[in-house]
Amino acid sequence: MSAIQSAFPGSVLESRVESDRRLWITVDPKKLVEITQFLRDKKDFDHYSGAAGVDRINENLFEVVEILTSHGAHQVVVMMKVRVPRDKPSVRSLTGLYWNANWYEREIWEMYGINFEGHPELYPLLLPDELVGYWPWRKDFKGYPDTTTGERAIEQVGPDGYTEFKIMPHPEMIKAGVVPERPKYPTFREREEAEIKSDSEMIMHMGPQHAIVPGPFLLDLLIEGERVKKAFLDVGYIHKGIEKIMENRTYLQGIVYTDRMCYLASITNNEAYCGAVERLLNITPPERAQYIRVILAELSRIQSHLLGTGEFLTLLGAATYSPFQYMIIDREDLVYLMESITGARITHTFVRFGGVRNDLPDGFADKARPILKRMRERTEEYMDLLHSDPIYTRRMRGIGVLSPGDARRLGVSGPPLRASDTPYDMRREDPILVYPDLDFKVVTRKAGDAEARVEVRLEEILESIHIIEQCLDQIPEGPIQEKLPKKIKPEPGEAYYRVEDPRGEMGFYVISDGSEKPYRVKVRGPVYAYMQALPPLLEGAYVADVVAIAGSMDACTSEVDR
Amino acid sequence: MVLKSLKYTLKTALTTTEVTRLYPEVMMELPANERGIHELDATTCIGCGSCARVCPNSCIELVPYKYGNPLKNRKMLFPQIDYGRCTFCGLCVDECPVSCLKMGKRTEIAGWDRKDIVYGPDRIAVKKFSDKEVAELEAEAKRQAEEKKKAAAAAAKEKAAKAKGKENKGKAKPAEGGEA
Repeated sequence: MSAIQSAFPGSVLESRVESDRRLWITVDPKKLVEITQFLRDKKDFDHYSGAAGVDRINENLFEVVEILTSHGAHQVVVMMKVRVPRDKPSVRSLTGLYWNANWYEREIWEMYGINFEGHPELYPLLLPDELVGYWPWRKDFKGYPDTTTGERAIEQVGPDGYTEFKIMPHPEMIKAGVVPERPKYPTFREREEAEIKSDSEMIMHMGPQHAIVPGPFLLDLLIEGERVKKAFLDVGYIHKGIEKIMENRTYLQGIVYTDRMCYLASITNNEAYCGAVERLLNITPPERAQYIRVILAELSRIQSHLLGTGEFLTLLGAATYSPFQYMIIDREDLVYLMESITGARITHTFVRFGGVRNDLPDGFADKARPILKRMRERTEEYMDLLHSDPIYTRRMRGIGVLSPGDARRLGVSGPPLRASDTPYDMRREDPILVYPDLDFKVVTRKAGDAEARVEVRLEEILESIHIIEQCLDQIPEGPIQEKLPKKIKPEPGEAYYRVEDPRGEMGFYVISDGSEKPYRVKVRGPVYAYMQALPPLLEGAYVADVVAIAGSMDACTSEVDR
Repeated sequence: MVLKSLKYTLKTALTTTEVTRLYPEVMMELPANERGIHELDATTCIGCGSCARVCPNSCIELVPYKYGNPLKNRKMLFPQIDYGRCTFCGLCVDECPVSCLKMGKRTEIAGWDRKDIVYGPDRIAVKKFSDKEVAELEAEAKRQAEEKKKAAAAAAKEKAAKAKGKENKGKAKPAEGGEA
């Protein structure tokens, strides 16, 4: 902190050191890029974790919060804010410093209308073209329901035979003369077609509905012969606007929405959100509740890895021994175990502010131990099987290699990053709950290819089993819920809380304005970062390997389009 | 190598127990914590509406229903749940001040129409009063209401008398009368 102040006198407007791991600073917009560069080069902040836009309508300001962390050099998270006036908001882009700032800035631009100077491709990412220009996440957006959209649509057949629907502005808007000016930009199709340089190249569509994709997204491959020359990704088909919905729900009701972002990771999403609100409320859950949370988080990690790996292996055509069916059978035991605690199979809504919903049922440890033991044996068998399968090895080894440097640059986290020889795990990096008391190792691989990613996942299952067994031994008796105020109304403030999702770094940034509802909730999801890294990863690969590469990332579109 | 995987397949086929579920005939065993269709104890519900307020999808509505306790639930309003919107999050159960709303093990909801899956208090109530009990309770409620009215009238009288006497002590007494 003092280093920044001495290096840039006068440009740090506000600062707050929350703990030894969180630093909040507000900087001068003019100096943003210089300060970030200083942090990146001199202070090892080499991981750009995300950015959030905030509409401070009462102060007539927009705020952009850049989240900077480091890949293991230290554990400080810098939340760097820039404030710009609401009319003509413009911030300098960080894409020159961090490659992965691209999508985060695009999202802020389309949702808030904050311009990013120097951004290479400021096109809408999640929103449909009709909504661009209305800036839907601003606080003064009137919003839906507007049921006249269908009536205003005009069908147009273009010269190339495509049918397009153009949606005209609302008649009242035209009358009042307040038709928002649409930003001009080439559409997704125009952008990809502009890249076709010769007759030998063509575009192949994978999606929006395709067997490899875990939800609807469009992956367009510009191929030349058998090689992928460039890949284009279009997401936003199932954009739900959960962050905006949560602004209109009370803190407690928000938990329900965190489940639905990614159903395989619902416990960790709950955990991240509740943890952030706990920081705002200044409470810590009792120890027994912390253990229960850890047990559930690890169970959920195992079942997510099993399903992710199993599903991926079917895509590869590993049909001789149908591992998918085996993994689903194993997963069923775990899901049943979780159901016996939470009462639901996948959408748990289980973690509460300062505790958990239910205690462990009677005899849980006795029921869990044999299942975990069996799980360990089975996982070891899977590892042995996959290792000895020549077809599998040939399809996976050396495919989609992410070098450690690239993996860090592209901003991926979780198993893909650890497979690229970077021991970056939130459970170690930013320890929460009782993780510091538990013994586990961070699984890494050197190769960085698709095989390594699957291996990391399978070995993490073993680590998770180890963690759960320790928890079952150590779990103390006691209360499971801290006393809460009757109405959950945190003091005005903000908190950022990270957990290790099955897929990587999941962070929740919650701002409170002292009312019953959060002022802003920003979700920093791991899959968002994977997806962004997918096109550069696919470049130069064979078409046949696209499935192996994309599948080994274990994506979840629902979370990208949260 | 392929043999190895085939060996594994055989081993699994011979040793693993059957995992297929005979679902429509045999329902799987559900844990005690299962969050299925709600179970309402109409005899204790006080009709406070906290379940309706906390519901994130506002699928709970309070509707009139006969077989409850008029002593506790004066307006005789009980929750009706629209399962077309319910997410089974269980917040309503946590929020209930008298724990009269629970979630049970019943999970089959399908219906032919959207109206079919809106469950009124008659369909979620597991404990309710009979006609006779309701009549008795209503009479009791009436009697209590009348008593209360009388008590209130008496208290008012007393208060008026005390006010005339201009005594400071009198302030506490009417308050006691009001509570009874």
